[in-house]
Amino acid sequence: MEVKVKLYTIFKKYGEGKLDKDNNISIPEHLTLQDLISHLNIPERLGKVCLVNGNPRDIEYTLSEGDEVKIVSIIGGG
Amino acid sequence: MGKPTYGYAGKQLRISLNNRKVTVENIDPKVLRRYLGGTGYGARILYDELKKGIYPLSKANKLIFATSPLSLNRIPGGGSVMVCFKSPLTNAWSESKCGTDFGPDLKRAGYDAVIIEDRSEKPVYIVINDEDIEIKPAEHLAGKSISEKIKMIREELDDPKISVMCIGPAGEKLVKIAVAMSDGRAAGRCGVGAVMGSKNLIGIAVKGSKEVSVAQPEKLKAAIKKAVKAVRENEIAAGFKEHGTTGEMVPSDAAGDWPTKNWHSNHWGKAEKIYDEFYNTKLIKNHACYRGCPIACGRVAEVKEGKYKTPVHEGAEYESLSAFTAFVLNDNLDAAIHATYLCNEYGIDTISAGAIIAFAMECYEHGVIEKKDIGDLDLSWGNPDALPELVRLISMREGIGDILAEGVKTASEKLGKGSEEFAIHGKGLEAPAHDARSGKALAVTYGTANRGMCHIHPLEGMAYDSGKLDFGMVKYGLPDPNTVHRWDEKGKGKSVKILQDGLIVSDVLSICKFFMYGGLNIDNYADMLSALTGWEIDGWELLKVGERVTNLQRLFNMREGFGRNDDLLPERVRKIPSFGIYKDEQRCAIKDYEAMLNEYYETRGWDLITGKPSKDKLRELELEEE
Repeated sequence: MEVKVKLYTIFKKYGEGKLDKDNNISIPEHLTLQDLISHLNIPERLGKVCLVNGNPRDIEYTLSEGDEVKIVSIIGGG
Repeated sequence: MGKPTYGYAGKQLRISLNNRKVTVENIDPKVLRRYLGGTGYGARILYDELKKGIYPLSKANKLIFATSPLSLNRIPGGGSVMVCFKSPLTNAWSESKCGTDFGPDLKRAGYDAVIIEDRSEKPVYIVINDEDIEIKPAEHLAGKSISEKIKMIREELDDPKISVMCIGPAGEKLVKIAVAMSDGRAAGRCGVGAVMGSKNLIGIAVKGSKEVSVAQPEKLKAAIKKAVKAVRENEIAAGFKEHGTTGEMVPSDAAGDWPTKNWHSNHWGKAEKIYDEFYNTKLIKNHACYRGCPIACGRVAEVKEGKYKTPVHEGAEYESLSAFTAFVLNDNLDAAIHATYLCNEYGIDTISAGAIIAFAMECYEHGVIEKKDIGDLDLSWGNPDALPELVRLISMREGIGDILAEGVKTASEKLGKGSEEFAIHGKGLEAPAHDARSGKALAVTYGTANRGMCHIHPLEGMAYDSGKLDFGMVKYGLPDPNTVHRWDEKGKGKSVKILQDGLIVSDVLSICKFFMYGGLNIDNYADMLSALTGWEIDGWELLKVGERVTNLQRLFNMREGFGRNDDLLPERVRKIPSFGIYKDEQRCAIKDYEAMLNEYYETRGWDLITGKPSKDKLRELELEEE
């Protein structure tokens, strides 16, 4: 199935070569957010928050066809 | 003279503005070892030299400009100076750090610290040039903007590069949120500018020609090399370099970390649009606040045209832009940039200014501030025109600005009519742009921070819970953040104690805290400090200094009458947000703040009822009991 993935700031580079020009990616069905993060090789140790279709979701959340996923890095400075 | 004090100048300047007496004093190396510098040394001096209950804008208050052995341009983050004082905004312990060459230049002039006392009859500025100390008339500078003052002082001294810190018109008018600025950077919080204004001290210029002696130069070289490598290889440091602090707006909004509409919510949903507009159309370049910074997170911005046209200037940081967008529901970026620029020229704190405007808008919505109080001004939520005008009114203490210039706590007490509920602050300091509903450790750090709800000390809580940063302190007992959920409450009090003791080290060493987010930890600092001073200092000793300083500042506040009842978190900050994507997320609300506080006090060795450090704890920290 296909989902759209938007990555921000220091996570952007992890989408290079994996996401198409519209930020879509094909993934197996029943993949969780955690699986997607691993698939993109985003380091586990870096703090992150995920939104699916605009709503915050835990990393155990199972993705569905057409979901729009945003993965943002959390640093805490500023 | 005895044995040289490596790493330190070993001297401090004491300048009494009343009789213009300048004294050079030797500093006791034992005190340096125990407090190191920055906020630690400042706390020791202020605790010993200020009497209980002094009015912060009286001549009895003192200003300590403090450095540390790490205040060197070649140390990553070394370009800062820490200003310590009793706050006129909060009546509590306070400090304000500014990223600038002022700190390293003060060291080069041969001083670890400057203590400013008493009050001048007329406006003056101080020039420190090695042993030559001049107190010069500054009546002609009165009323000028910050950048005008800095330019005029440099022209008068015929030195375009001399470091200058000065106040704007707001500091002269004793606005309680007034700042001192060095070029585009502010010692921003708690009203340091008002304290300078109360002393008729317009500014300080400093330059020097000396080098501090280093105990082990080769060891220092290796320690710096290791630290620079750690920063260069760190992804977060790279992120700061590319996006500055402003890049944090999008993650904060998504994480429920972006206080919106005066904390009615922790999310707005507009950060992405605002940040994209900033990055693509307003950002000119990045900028280092001191010579040699490898991150250069500062942003130079411009609004090229329109009613909010703003010249090229350094500013538009995360906190400033958040304060003039999400806090007040304004999505006009030009107006937000313009308002932050005006704050920097009038000399007021952007965070407090935005928070005060949000407070005023809520007062207006509920009829606490009426049309008759504000003339043609429209204080409706999100009105971009209100921002620059209120910045001006607050800075000049005109109209409604005179009450608002006191800060939200005092303003709400004066305005009454239930407006206390709209005053979101901790210990009297307006809350910044991170939301404790994004992670519970932030609730404890906000509540217990000695200078109140600030944007520096408490943030380690948020970085730990959501950023999953351990700051290299797992080996010192900090639970691994990857084993902790951001919305857990149990355990946060314990973690916060270690986090505070470790992260205050950047303030004790008077260096940029961002480097602790971007690859450096207390072991790096211990290595560099040991090489500079010749002392064998390890991470454990730094943590102990951090704990000592935290407790000493706590004692300062307790002497002023603060206690557990002041370690508060406003009710609105603890409640589930009233709108936004977290409004149905029950886990984000703070359920039992008092239980977290109990756990924190127990870990600290503080009395559960009064919040006072125990005798045993004070003995352990070699702090005399008062």
